[in-house]
Amino acid sequence: MELRLPGRTSTTGVRRLDTERPGEVIDRSTSVPFTFNGKRFTGHEGDTIASALMGNGIRIVSRSMKYHRPRGYLTGDFWDPNGALQVGDEPNVRSGHRKLTAGMSVSSQNVWPSLDHDVKAANGLVSRFLTAGFYYKTFMKPASLWPYYEKVLATFAPGGTVDLDTPHGEFDKRYAHPDVLIAGGGPAGMAAAIAAADAGASVLLVEQEHQLGGHLRFGSDADRAAAGTLRDEVGRRPGIEVLTDSTVTGRYEDNWCSIVQRSHPTVSERLIKARAKTLVVAPGLIERPYVFAGNDKPGVMTSGAVRRMINLYGVQPGDRAVVFTANADGDAAADDLEAIGVPVHRVDARAGEGIVEATGPASGLTGVVLTDGTTVDADLLVTAIGWTAPTSLLNMAGDRPVYDANAARFFGSVQIDNVLTTGGIAGDGTVEELIQHGEATGRLAAARAASIAHALRSATVWATETTTDAPAFPADDRTALERHAHPELYRASTHGIVDYSEDVGSKDLVAAAKEGYDSIELLKRYTTATMGPAQGKLETVNTAAVLAEARGETIADVGTTVWRPPFVPITLGALGGRIFEPTRVSSIQPWHEARGATPILAGQWIRPEHYGDPAAEVRNTRTNVGIIDVTPLGKLDLRGPDVPALLEQMYTNKWRKLPVGGVRYGLMCAEDGVVLDDGVTGRLADDHYLMTTTSSGAGTIWEWAEMWLQTEHPEWQVHVTPVTTGYTSINVAGPRSRELVARLCDDVDLSNEAFGYMQVRRGTIAGVPDCIMWRIGFTGELSFELHVPSGHGLHVWERLMADGADLGIQPFGLEAQRIMRLEKGHFIVGQDTDGLSKAPTTGLENLIKLDKPDFAGKPELAWALEPEQAQILPRIVAIQPDDPTIVPEEACQILAGETNEILGRITSSRMSPTLGRSICLGQVVPSLALPGTKITILLVDGRRVAGTVQEHHAHYDPEGERARV
Amino acid sequence: MSDPKFASSVVSTASAPSGSLALDDRSDLTKIVVRTDPASAAAGQLGCPHGRSRRIGPVVVLGQRPTEWLVIGPALEVGAVVDELDTSGHTSVIDITHSRSLFALRGADGARVMEKVNGLDWSDAMMPDGAVTGGSVAKVTCDLSRQDEGGSWSAWVMADRSFGQYLFDAIADACREFD
Repeated sequence: MELRLPGRTSTTGVRRLDTERPGEVIDRSTSVPFTFNGKRFTGHEGDTIASALMGNGIRIVSRSMKYHRPRGYLTGDFWDPNGALQVGDEPNVRSGHRKLTAGMSVSSQNVWPSLDHDVKAANGLVSRFLTAGFYYKTFMKPASLWPYYEKVLATFAPGGTVDLDTPHGEFDKRYAHPDVLIAGGGPAGMAAAIAAADAGASVLLVEQEHQLGGHLRFGSDADRAAAGTLRDEVGRRPGIEVLTDSTVTGRYEDNWCSIVQRSHPTVSERLIKARAKTLVVAPGLIERPYVFAGNDKPGVMTSGAVRRMINLYGVQPGDRAVVFTANADGDAAADDLEAIGVPVHRVDARAGEGIVEATGPASGLTGVVLTDGTTVDADLLVTAIGWTAPTSLLNMAGDRPVYDANAARFFGSVQIDNVLTTGGIAGDGTVEELIQHGEATGRLAAARAASIAHALRSATVWATETTTDAPAFPADDRTALERHAHPELYRASTHGIVDYSEDVGSKDLVAAAKEGYDSIELLKRYTTATMGPAQGKLETVNTAAVLAEARGETIADVGTTVWRPPFVPITLGALGGRIFEPTRVSSIQPWHEARGATPILAGQWIRPEHYGDPAAEVRNTRTNVGIIDVTPLGKLDLRGPDVPALLEQMYTNKWRKLPVGGVRYGLMCAEDGVVLDDGVTGRLADDHYLMTTTSSGAGTIWEWAEMWLQTEHPEWQVHVTPVTTGYTSINVAGPRSRELVARLCDDVDLSNEAFGYMQVRRGTIAGVPDCIMWRIGFTGELSFELHVPSGHGLHVWERLMADGADLGIQPFGLEAQRIMRLEKGHFIVGQDTDGLSKAPTTGLENLIKLDKPDFAGKPELAWALEPEQAQILPRIVAIQPDDPTIVPEEACQILAGETNEILGRITSSRMSPTLGRSICLGQVVPSLALPGTKITILLVDGRRVAGTVQEHHAHYDPEGERARV
Repeated sequence: MSDPKFASSVVSTASAPSGSLALDDRSDLTKIVVRTDPASAAAGQLGCPHGRSRRIGPVVVLGQRPTEWLVIGPALEVGAVVDELDTSGHTSVIDITHSRSLFALRGADGARVMEKVNGLDWSDAMMPDGAVTGGSVAKVTCDLSRQDEGGSWSAWVMADRSFGQYLFDAIADACREFD
């Protein structure tokens, strides 16, 4: 039998209604231009892209992933599996949710050459071969061909296109600590927020849609009135912060919840990290599609989609409708359709009626076959067959929701103290009943939050003192919502699409189950059902139902897959958030910048690498005087009677006899004997020392010192205070450095006799008191390392430059210092050593004092110093390439002659301006460590060049005479 | 020879908010750290426990850690407080004026600004006036204290001097949406 409905015929059957609907959210007085696949259209302010497209009569908006079947809007909201569109340079935009803005360029994704004529639709012709597991079965062998398969398959990948030249958006993050976090701003969620706020709680109310109200927004007059009242009440309470167009995406340990906020006036998206004392889960319910033949044809929509389009956006979704309903929402959709003049044929599941198939071409349905054999002429098929409870946040909290066959959906099963549910996810009821339950939930959430807050305050020393006893943790005395009976409707007698995002049909699922993939988790991974962008919101329960049917069991037996965070997809930008990249600078940095110094990032420090010509900086320092900003050098102030004991523990050498005014170099090793850091420590007073560390090791060594003091030797009386940037450190180096420093300092005798090498003094420099001066340096020249209170660092630097002008003073940067230290053969921890370099590798065995009672790494170093280990441990040696013009790159391998046996590597290399030749440090096996040994260096370009191991680490002034004058 | 003047690590305050929020660079305040046993005489004189602060005229004493206090204020007044301390026993008094930058964020939306750069709960209950703690601000380890001024919300953020300009700009940027 064929049943023809009256109604006008139009090209697509969808259009904007001529008259305004009472609850419309669009502003019909506005015109918002946009394009879709290159054609110009207009919508209204308040439109989503979906409503604007349908308002312009567009029914097909995309193609399916695998078979490229034409698709129209199914749910017309955030979850619509067919609504992923490209907007400008942004792919995968959820057009059912994204607001239309002027000038938007909207296009369909992954169609070629056009949406109307997509050649990849040919896949549909061979669909019987493209069943689940097709890839696995077809492309496994031969494995060598996989790279070629992969290239071809990649061209079929769904999704939009990413323009790598797209400017970065501005993303942000913030933290929040609400007493009560409410996920969902429907009637129950709003009521909970109001009640919680009235009980004194701070509330964060998060709603995924653009407006609070949930399903009431597109409901009856009474529904909209109730929503409006609740919205007004929420708005009147300053204790409620409302986030719309935002989603609670995850719940983690101790109610740490992630929220993505999509609409924000100043940033593209914001990730909020909320630590909620109680979480109220009130996301409502998600209407579930029905599985039947032709269920993905354009024109098949859920009842919620139809009601949204009609009542929020004034869009007529079709000319002639069949409404297959099993509940009041379906009935209301039919009523709404009839109210706008669309003839409706109702098919009532509660009365045993059903549908079998949507018929018509791929471009859209033209008829619906009912179970009694009748074919109804229609361009719109509305299904209202039940809901999925989005229990994701409950799953993340440890709940394992169970299926209730009577209500035909899942419910939470575990009581979690700080996670409560309300609204549709908790049960059914009238609007009033939902609001009452929400209010009770809000009160309970606030009371529990107060109890938790009291405990938090009691445990937090800086919080407001708690003057009362802890409030009791209240029991859940709420009256539970009822669970209304609902028919179990998942699949008709025919097969259809289950996962619209992945193009997985019920037939695929049945076939997979027959192949043995009959556990829900296996089935998911084998067929990819529930793994698409919808992430199971629409298809998880239908998948379980089809599998249950295939196994001859119940849905409760089959269960569902586990829902993990995030609840909705999050952009990488939001996850990255605001990028904080702290940088450190010394007090002299403005001077460096003003002189055009080339900066280099060393860890977090921005330092001057050079001022134009590092070789010239080296020559000037060796000839006249140079100054370098070495502020990043780690500095620790050590005070207390037990400092020598701490130093003995941390360094490998001895410290108890260091006199006041003395400075000593030391090596620090970890417990495994591997070099950890090095530096000098000076004794400023009886119980007062200043330790320096490498720039990169400052933090580590501070923590290490505290570890010894706090956990190993709490009896030691030592205070360690980091003062790295309290002092601006300037090394004055070169033959004329004493002459220069003497011009600025008149309260310290700088003569070599009074202030010798490796000594420390305190004095006034350029009028700045309390400066610390060391007779040390990394360059090998006569040097004074000045540590100046940083508030005066720039002043002293400028005075040095001014007063040294006639002495030929020039600043030098990090590169010149590295060259000079290499000329002197000073190794750098972490560059010339590595994570396996035990102390003997450095050649500083004389600094390892095994006769000390204890020090870090002593047992390992005792073993490392045994004669047989000397034949194993690599050694740091100075190397000079035989061709003085060749500078091997750092990390070049040292090989055994013409073989490829690796015997070492170059760890540092430079062209020496002082010597006029290339110089290196390297690690080699012991057999190559003897002076005069010829070695082979493999260059980056593949050439092998000869080099010679030198007698000393120092290529220049091996006796160290220049520093001691 | 001109007398050297203290130079802050914040070279430019151009990014500072100019509306309802204020971000002041107060790095030139004298800062003395006192490390001693909480049962010592000096600790008793300082008179505030870990997590709290105490105002002595223009001087503020912060109980930074169980065995560490920070005395902040104008040099003369801080000197007067510190000079009075009984430093017998294992007590260290260290001037860290040049080691630390100190910023004061002021304004009703200050707590919301801090929520953008710091993970602590800045509600009045958890961070009342006088509270002292520490945490990461824009990925920099900081000492933090709520120090209301004239009844208005205010907080101090203190960090290693070398981060000063970066930190000032980061907090100023967080102010933009509220200013």
